[in-house]
Amino acid sequence: MILRRVDRFFDERLGSDAWVRYVFAKLYPDHWSFYLGEFALYCFVMLVATGVWLTFVFQPSHAGAFASVIAFTRATPVGYLMRQVHHWSAVAFIAAIVVHLGRVFFTAAFRKPREITWVLGVLLLVTASVTGFTGYSLPDDTLSGTGLRIADAVLLSIPFIGGWAADLLNGGGYPGPLLIPHLYVIHVYFLPVTIGALLALHLGLVFYQKHTQFEPDPAHVVVGRRFWPDYTLRTLAVFFATAGVVTLLGALIEINPVENYGPYHDWLVTNPAAPDWYAAWLDGALRLGPAVEWRIFGHPVPAVFWPGMVLPTLAFLLVVAWPWIDKTITKRDEVGDVLVPPTAAPWRVGVGAALVTAGVVLTLAASDDQQAVGAHVRVTALVTLYRILFPFGSIAVGLIAALLAAELRASRAGRGAERERVVELVRNAEGGFDAREPHST
Amino acid sequence: MSAAALLVAILAALGAAVAAALHDPVVLVGLLAALSAFAAAVAAGAAAVQLRAPNTLTEPRHPQGPSAPPPLPDDVLARRGAFGRLWWIAFAAFALAGLEPLISLGRMPRRNGTAWRGGARLVTPQGTPLRPDDLAVGGVTTVFPEGRVDAPESAVLLLRLQDGVMQLGPERRDWVQQGNVAFSKICTHAGCPVAIFRHLTYELYCPCHQSVFDVLHGAQPVSGPATRALPQLALDLDRDGYLVARGDFAEPVGPDSWWRTL
Ligand code: FES
Repeated sequence: MILRRVDRFFDERLGSDAWVRYVFAKLYPDHWSFYLGEFALYCFVMLVATGVWLTFVFQPSHAGAFASVIAFTRATPVGYLMRQVHHWSAVAFIAAIVVHLGRVFFTAAFRKPREITWVLGVLLLVTASVTGFTGYSLPDDTLSGTGLRIADAVLLSIPFIGGWAADLLNGGGYPGPLLIPHLYVIHVYFLPVTIGALLALHLGLVFYQKHTQFEPDPAHVVVGRRFWPDYTLRTLAVFFATAGVVTLLGALIEINPVENYGPYHDWLVTNPAAPDWYAAWLDGALRLGPAVEWRIFGHPVPAVFWPGMVLPTLAFLLVVAWPWIDKTITKRDEVGDVLVPPTAAPWRVGVGAALVTAGVVLTLAASDDQQAVGAHVRVTALVTLYRILFPFGSIAVGLIAALLAAELRASRAGRGAERERVVELVRNAEGGFDAREPHST
Repeated sequence: MSAAALLVAILAALGAAVAAALHDPVVLVGLLAALSAFAAAVAAGAAAVQLRAPNTLTEPRHPQGPSAPPPLPDDVLARRGAFGRLWWIAFAAFALAGLEPLISLGRMPRRNGTAWRGGARLVTPQGTPLRPDDLAVGGVTTVFPEGRVDAPESAVLLLRLQDGVMQLGPERRDWVQQGNVAFSKICTHAGCPVAIFRHLTYELYCPCHQSVFDVLHGAQPVSGPATRALPQLALDLDRDGYLVARGDFAEPVGPDSWWRTL
């Protein structure tokens, strides 16, 4: 009754009834892997919900940040849980985006006309990672402060404008008095608003251009389920499942125990010192980077510039440009609404596997010191090993993955052909059977 | 009329940028910026009057939702003239004027001075001054200039070695006091504290990316990604027998940047 009235109210003013009906009747293709993006979306919802709560208890200043985190963590179980769930949601958010990106990559969902959606998704990954980094730096503890110091050094390493850029972030020197306030406004305002806008565009495009599907589509139709009630209930289930997962993780597994690290001073450090998982590949890159400082016109270009600035920029450009690179390789620019099974294009599987391997190698390199202690080898030996694995291991894994995919595709095709072949069995002289092509009648 | 106004807007914007860069009085910068804005407003307004269609158009008014306005004549979007190009120049000038506020947010180059001065006593983080015998041989501690504990980028590692094991160049011979030698604690790679001293091998170790510095040879990097030695703090003794610095570091501490040589 009330709903009907609300509907009438808006319909009389906006003509919204037809549109609401359209939204509710819209069809969405269905596959388990399509829920990865939704999982990410609902992690963001959890982040906003817990994050808003945290803004009421956190003091964004160098003097007060750490103490306020300890205070609200100790004060109530809710405070501790909020912080835990917030951090776990962030970790899961970025993980979900990465896996979702992988799904889109391996099924070639990025093809025309969805290149814009792909670019928006990659931007979301970058924004989410930076948001994560600024967020876990906010408590101003020894571990995150060390990460900030390294980020400062990377900013500082940019030719010509590095000092200015680092100074802008710090508000003068290091650690600048404005660093925590800057990070705070970036973390709770600029970046979340950016994520919200990117998400709106990303999802708007999925809605407007319609989702891809695995079902073959000779008639050019969407094969799927209605938004209402099928899909609504499904996505509601995903939301609550997401909320359950991050809450459970937050309740059971301690993450980022800053109370064990202590407040930040630029002369104290934890050992080992390694960042959150999504930033680890950059830390690994810094460890593997060559110890060279080149000079350009007499000015130093510090060693951290190459692994810390150039490498991630190149990686970003490669991923953003992938739909166009793919186009160049496949020489195909047709509309691709139907997803392909990953094995359909073994070379793409190879490229994807190589990129994933490169990321994994760098991530592993970020804890080489602990591995060296555990395995009783010199850390320099591990550095050498990872330096070799980064290019050659990636290529090797890529090649193997491509070969496996090709093999899989061939055996699938073979099995399909087997099933469809009809033969005629004929008794032969030895008493066995010979298969023979059936007589055409 | 509008082209002339736009020209004024461009010149005023450039003028404001130059005035801001030269740190001219606020009034001058502000007046030029405001003049630029008003001139652009006049330019756009005058152009709107000039370009106005001769007769008023109509579009059917549906109670809800969009409707179809009369179609755009083909030449409207394609029309490009000198005035249009002038607008691009104007936007470039506005962007240039916006550059100064942006640049002013950071200094270039950033200078890494520390709190060390000649005669400053070396004190522990608790503020206790140290004599040459306070550290046992093989010992290490973090020190700051007296009165400036926790000062940014000023943390120093004080090490005590056997007398005479250090292999320094002649110019650094008297930087050591009875086996006490001091290096910046801020890693030259990416700024982490170089927190670990392996006294058997005389190596300093950075836990962030495993750079290793050879203490005996002036903390030169021997392994890991660091490319520059940890700056050494020259030590002296004051009249009361306490360890003091001879002055600030001779070179900048911490990670390198483009402007470090300046
Ligand atoms: S900061 Fe010391 S090795 Fe990187």
